[in-house]
Amino acid sequence: MTQILTTLLVWPLPWVLLTLLFGRVFPRSGTLGYVGAMVGAVFLTTMTFGAPSPDGILSAILLWPALGALIALFLPRQWSDGVRRFASVWLWAGFALSLYLLGPVVREALAPNPEALASSGRLVQIAWEHFFAPFFGAFGSDASLTFATAGYRFTEDAAWIETFGIHYKLGVDGISLWLIILTTLLTPIALDVSWNSVSTKVKEFAFSFLLLQVGMIGAFVALDLFLFYVMWELMLVPMYLIIGIWGGKDRVYAAVKFFIYTMVGSLLMLVAILYVVMQLKAETGILTFDLTQILWLKLPRTEQLVLFSAFALAFAIKVPMFPFHTWLPDAHVQAPTGGSVILAAVLLKLGGYGFLRFAMPLFPWASRYIAPTLAVFAIIGIIYGAYCAWVQRDIKKLVAYSSVSHLGFVMLGLFSMTSGGISGGILQMVSHGISTGALFILVGVIYDRRHTRDLADFGGLAKVMPVYATIFVIVTMSSVGLPGTNGFVGEFMVLSGTFVSRTFNLYQKIFTLFAATGVILAAIYMLHAVLKTFWGPITRPENEKLQDLTSRERWILAPLVVLVFWIGVTPGFFLHPMEASVEDFMVTWTARSDQSYRSGEERGMYDGWQPPADPAEAAPAEEGAEETAANEAAAEGGAG
Amino acid sequence: MTFDIDTMMLVGPLLTVAFGGLAMMLVDAFAKEKAELSVVSAVILLAGASFSLALWFSGPREVEAGMIGSYLAYDRLAHFLDLVICGGAALASLLAGGYLREHRIERGEFYVLLLFSALGAMALVRAVDLLSMFIALETLSLGVYGLVAFRRHSPRAAEGALKYFLLGSFASAILLFGISMLYGATGHTSLAEIHQVVAAGEAAPTLLILSMLLMITGLAFKISAVPFHAWAPDAYQGAVTPASTYMAVVVKAAVFGVMIRVLFIAFGDESLANADSGWPPALAALAAITMVFGNLAALVQKNVKRMLAYSSISHAGFLLMGLVAAWKLHGGSGLSAVLFYLASYTVSNVLAFGSLILVGSRGKEAVSYEDLAGVGRRHPWVAVPFAIGVLSLMGFPPLAGFFGKYYVILAAAEAGGGMLWLAVIAVLSSAVGAYYYLRVIVFLFMRKPEEGAPVAVPMRSGHVVAALVMAGYYVLRLGITPGAYLDLVSPGLDGATDLDVSVFLWDGGIAVVAGAIAAALTTLRSGASDDADEPAPAPAE
Repeated sequence: MTQILTTLLVWPLPWVLLTLLFGRVFPRSGTLGYVGAMVGAVFLTTMTFGAPSPDGILSAILLWPALGALIALFLPRQWSDGVRRFASVWLWAGFALSLYLLGPVVREALAPNPEALASSGRLVQIAWEHFFAPFFGAFGSDASLTFATAGYRFTEDAAWIETFGIHYKLGVDGISLWLIILTTLLTPIALDVSWNSVSTKVKEFAFSFLLLQVGMIGAFVALDLFLFYVMWELMLVPMYLIIGIWGGKDRVYAAVKFFIYTMVGSLLMLVAILYVVMQLKAETGILTFDLTQILWLKLPRTEQLVLFSAFALAFAIKVPMFPFHTWLPDAHVQAPTGGSVILAAVLLKLGGYGFLRFAMPLFPWASRYIAPTLAVFAIIGIIYGAYCAWVQRDIKKLVAYSSVSHLGFVMLGLFSMTSGGISGGILQMVSHGISTGALFILVGVIYDRRHTRDLADFGGLAKVMPVYATIFVIVTMSSVGLPGTNGFVGEFMVLSGTFVSRTFNLYQKIFTLFAATGVILAAIYMLHAVLKTFWGPITRPENEKLQDLTSRERWILAPLVVLVFWIGVTPGFFLHPMEASVEDFMVTWTARSDQSYRSGEERGMYDGWQPPADPAEAAPAEEGAEETAANEAAAEGGAG
Repeated sequence: MTFDIDTMMLVGPLLTVAFGGLAMMLVDAFAKEKAELSVVSAVILLAGASFSLALWFSGPREVEAGMIGSYLAYDRLAHFLDLVICGGAALASLLAGGYLREHRIERGEFYVLLLFSALGAMALVRAVDLLSMFIALETLSLGVYGLVAFRRHSPRAAEGALKYFLLGSFASAILLFGISMLYGATGHTSLAEIHQVVAAGEAAPTLLILSMLLMITGLAFKISAVPFHAWAPDAYQGAVTPASTYMAVVVKAAVFGVMIRVLFIAFGDESLANADSGWPPALAALAAITMVFGNLAALVQKNVKRMLAYSSISHAGFLLMGLVAAWKLHGGSGLSAVLFYLASYTVSNVLAFGSLILVGSRGKEAVSYEDLAGVGRRHPWVAVPFAIGVLSLMGFPPLAGFFGKYYVILAAAEAGGGMLWLAVIAVLSSAVGAYYYLRVIVFLFMRKPEEGAPVAVPMRSGHVVAALVMAGYYVLRLGITPGAYLDLVSPGLDGATDLDVSVFLWDGGIAVVAGAIAAALTTLRSGASDDADEPAPAPAE
């Protein structure tokens, strides 16, 4: 606890204070000033105190926005500009803090070991010794803290509600690492794009975003099913408020639809979670929601199917997979720009992440059994989403449907159960977050200027807004999947993974063929939109004097554009940390799914399970085993 | 029979409230400022609660049969429910302090009725004999009839009270009929002795089953389980809001308390409680209908109080489900779940009803959803507790209501078998419930009032604010760190070994002090603004 507090007080808090102070002293310094001040503040603290301790860093990242939300509640209402600035700087400080998680990744990229460092170029040595090593401090030196091997890093475990075996257990592995960074990067961006468009109830807006980030980060780092559920639900209310209060004309309808859809799915998931936990208790006598324990539980095949369906429904709604996608266009179109960005970039990723982290490993046989069916739905989603996008006149709706299409690729990759497909799926989630996030920002920019999103109202904008058009085209290319951009890597890996998949009952080549048409369709609908918007003559007089991107908008888009090319050109840097985790996931999943297939309707624990070493927990485990035997006998008697 | 101090201590909570009620009648005669009576009655009730807490920690005790020993039980079940009943009643009386003054219907009888009714509730959860049970139930009900009819000149109140009175008397008659048959079948009035006779197979089965049906029906009326719920929406709507609060929380807790005893002791024998015939499947069906119908009916309500009435009906369904799970688990975590649910439901409801009170003011009571439009914008400090209250009722983590629902569903999952389907019905119906609870938030934060429509003006009342702060504290406490309270209701009610009374005293202390501070701040602010506001309306009167 003290460790977490120290981390928060010594690192991000001075960053926020120094940056805000700088902005106060030099009010005309502009966005560049803020960026410079933040970077300077980060350097100052790191050079003075080194890096924060790896213990409790996840809690610090999780609690930071919660603390901000609490402070935001007590800021004066009239001070709307100040509140906005405060929340933005606070969230950017959170992003900077979360970058410490990348310490092991940077070390492995630059200096995996002393020999490698000695043999590398002088420039790398200088960069490592004088810049990265002090910056990442403890993270750089601890060799066991690495994503090169599978397993959770930065883990924390504390009892929360002992009666139910609920723990506050956090951890990061290769699968969730980039998604966390994506979250911490996109939340401040989403808040900043609303700088001018949201002018009412700014305080509540900032509060919602800060709270939303707590839920999102929490869902990505939770290793306790109960904690995950709480965080999963916690995201709902702020997003509901964001759509419902600051949204468009039919905002209330969209917000309620969003809320009810998600809630229905997650409630069934709750029942499934409880059932699994109860089964584990019956089997081992241990009442726990710890994911790493529950994963060992082997359930009968029919039960797996029912439970997997409950989990899959919750996650499929969130992704959203066809046919549960109908809430998405409504929510996207009605949400304010910032809300759309965060919805597309992060919230939808939780669906895919949920499949990968919970639904598939918990029920390996069921997920293999259903994988071809779900893949068909994913492919229908790809093609159907693309066709719907093609016929839209509203650009925002077009982007929303393109999300349905892109996320179909993600799901296809995950269900292909090849390491390429899964890594590609994860990378595609990140890429989609970046490119679709950027697209929503760009749509928001033009909507702010013209208050319309109808394709027919534009044309020839490239002449009026050259910078805007350039960035739009770059992002479009990334969304279409042009080689050299981030979109290409993910989609290519998914398609090649699907092509060699063994879970699709020999349909893999047909699946690949149909999915690949989605790429072509993406090119059609996106280029169609670009053509209509930017090329040709200027048909409307209103379009003749549109302001190009402002400095703030450029600053917001800059990191996304950089990432588009960075991921596109050197995907290895991003793929490398997830390899071990994905490989481990695959091996475990395959083994357990085979075991589960063989044992049929038997229940028990998977091979290799060992009861927790804790002596306090070992005693009740034995008691429970006897009870279980008695229960089973009773159950058999009843069945007979 | 001896009358030693030890026995007297055991009835201490009852005596505290009883003498408190008598004293209140005297104080009422002399008091000038009637609103302060609400504080007095809250203090009396909290004293009763503290007494029960102390008794809870002194452990269960055998009381020799005698004047009180054979009629009332002194176990931890009763003491825990005392906490819920006294806490709920105290908060309701604080709400009344603000509400009655604002609406100019301030009379001391309210608190007297409330105290005696709470006394009935406390006796009811202790009743282990059919006689004491019936007397306690009538004491409880009579007080509530008076509370519902409190606004004498309102036709709605009269309608609600009359409906409640007629149907309630009807239910009492049915219950009494069942009791007489049970006596006829077994020759005993004590629940434990009835159990023995039933277990020995000496009771006439037809009479027994008929009496069981009648008694369950009578009790189902009181907890407003579907299809015996028809009185509830009218009574809730017609009653003054603090009385609705009282009905929603205290009556329900007390009747569920006695249901636990009747079902698990008198009818606890295998021949009456099994999965094929007997009360558990009947109760499960009742639970399913109640949850589904309560939630569906709440969807179409236009009046917030009626919506809350239907919501409380659906919560009764959840509690019934908990009872069935408790039967299947032989008490165990099912019973704990029911008890925890009652506690979390009490505080969440006080928060929701209390905020509804706070939104309105004299002549402009908030009734429909439209009255709530735009409140979140103009008066966020009224809207936020309201939102937290309905979110908690919805079962949203991490709030108290979520843990209640969670625990009940967990118990159902643990019971397994057919209970799993009941659990699925429960979660689906609570997803339906999300819609109408969300409507409150929609109107509070997302709608603007219609042009020319009367705008709700929140009242300023220290009493109501204090009740809200106290309830809000517990909603968060039971939601975020429910550990200690889960131990309090842990299976078997034996308490974890390391359970420490100081935790609960601290909690109570923090809640009361925070409430008092909030009340003082509100009074100070309204005092300052009253000086400015007061002269304007004066000439009009």
